[in-house]
Amino acid sequence: MNLSDSKKKLALAGAVCGIVAAALAYFGNPANMAFCIACFIRDTAGALGLHSTETVQYVRPEIIGLVLGAFLISAVTKEYRSTAGSSPMTRFVLGMILAIGSLVFLGCPLRMIIRMSAGDLNAWVALIGFVLGVGTGVFALKKGFSLGRAHLAGRMSGAVLSVLLLGVLILSLATTLLKASQSGPGSMHAPVLLSLAGGLVFGAFAQKSRMCFAGSIRDVILMRNFDLLTIIGSFFVVMLVYNIASGNFVPAFDTPGVIAHSEHLWNILGMYAVGFAAVLAGGCPLRQLILAGQGSSDSAVTVFGMLLGAALAHNLGLAASATAVNAETQEIVSGSVPLNGKIAVIICIAVCFIIGFGNKRTEGK
Amino acid sequence: MRKKELKLIVTFHTTADAMAMEKACRSKDVPGRLIPVPREISAGCGLAWCALPDQRESLLSVMAENGIEQEDLHEIIF
Repeated sequence: MNLSDSKKKLALAGAVCGIVAAALAYFGNPANMAFCIACFIRDTAGALGLHSTETVQYVRPEIIGLVLGAFLISAVTKEYRSTAGSSPMTRFVLGMILAIGSLVFLGCPLRMIIRMSAGDLNAWVALIGFVLGVGTGVFALKKGFSLGRAHLAGRMSGAVLSVLLLGVLILSLATTLLKASQSGPGSMHAPVLLSLAGGLVFGAFAQKSRMCFAGSIRDVILMRNFDLLTIIGSFFVVMLVYNIASGNFVPAFDTPGVIAHSEHLWNILGMYAVGFAAVLAGGCPLRQLILAGQGSSDSAVTVFGMLLGAALAHNLGLAASATAVNAETQEIVSGSVPLNGKIAVIICIAVCFIIGFGNKRTEGK
Repeated sequence: MRKKELKLIVTFHTTADAMAMEKACRSKDVPGRLIPVPREISAGCGLAWCALPDQRESLLSVMAENGIEQEDLHEIIF
């Protein structure tokens, strides 16, 4: 099935992914989070013991489903291609930046759209940074940025991440080895099978439609092409309808309980780093999972970078805190970005500039 | 709505090659435009050069002059 030969089909793919996200939110995923790649990779890192923040530890079946969904659909439709060799360690660093920038904002680009659809004005502010970040990445592309070409690799190499994640899924279902939060966002989740099924469906549709949050804006800036943006648009509309119907639509800044903060500058800069790094890496966090599923070892390395970045974000105190209500005084306590997080974002942006303008295309390579 | 007709699509190993192609074609006044790689050609999300089939020779010549290596050439209705 070709989902890309008309904007209607692309919109349909976005709507299906929106329905999946809405269903997962309805059945237990954290409010206003529904489906967030950075948050869910962070939770999975916690479950594996890579960080020790007890409120965000849970093997998110959605992440595993996304990769396996992309792997299975690409294998069935003969689009699976095992490739590797395009500056893997640089991509690892870009993966770390994707996770750290996201956790300073409190969400990946996918969750930014979900938060926007729930009226969270902080996410609309962050969108400014994300668009500017993508724009800077496009400027680097125009100046000749390249991480070099990937080559065909051994057939099994491209399937390693899928197999590893399948192993993590089995460990989480059949043993008590992995950690699981008893309170906080990590304890809030839809039933495992529903999450897994949601991930598989989302992954398959994302693979077929090439859904990408950074790519959609890149294509508009670079070629005035709105195909990918159509997918994001329909995803947003479905989530908007769900949030209004379920009473979750609250157009405000300081809304407690939605896992967000109102430090505007750092919302902008966090997502600026994410947008910039995503263009350099060739896709947003979601797209990296999908590309890894369809055989790209380079994207799999980027995913491991995100895993480490997410763990460091908590171990080194980089992640932002969310606005919440003090249970005793009932006062609203504003969320904030710690100093370490601010320094980390500035370093991330500086590294993006070094990578973006230090890696140039060479003729014939 | 844009009319669909037979086009020559050049794909590249990297986005940077596609950008270099655009620059080279612009400087030589070779007609064509940068597009997202058509989905029927690839599941990847790179860029491609789209031109009319009768431009094949000029495109190959521009690529040779500028050291741009194509991944493939496709003729499809686009």
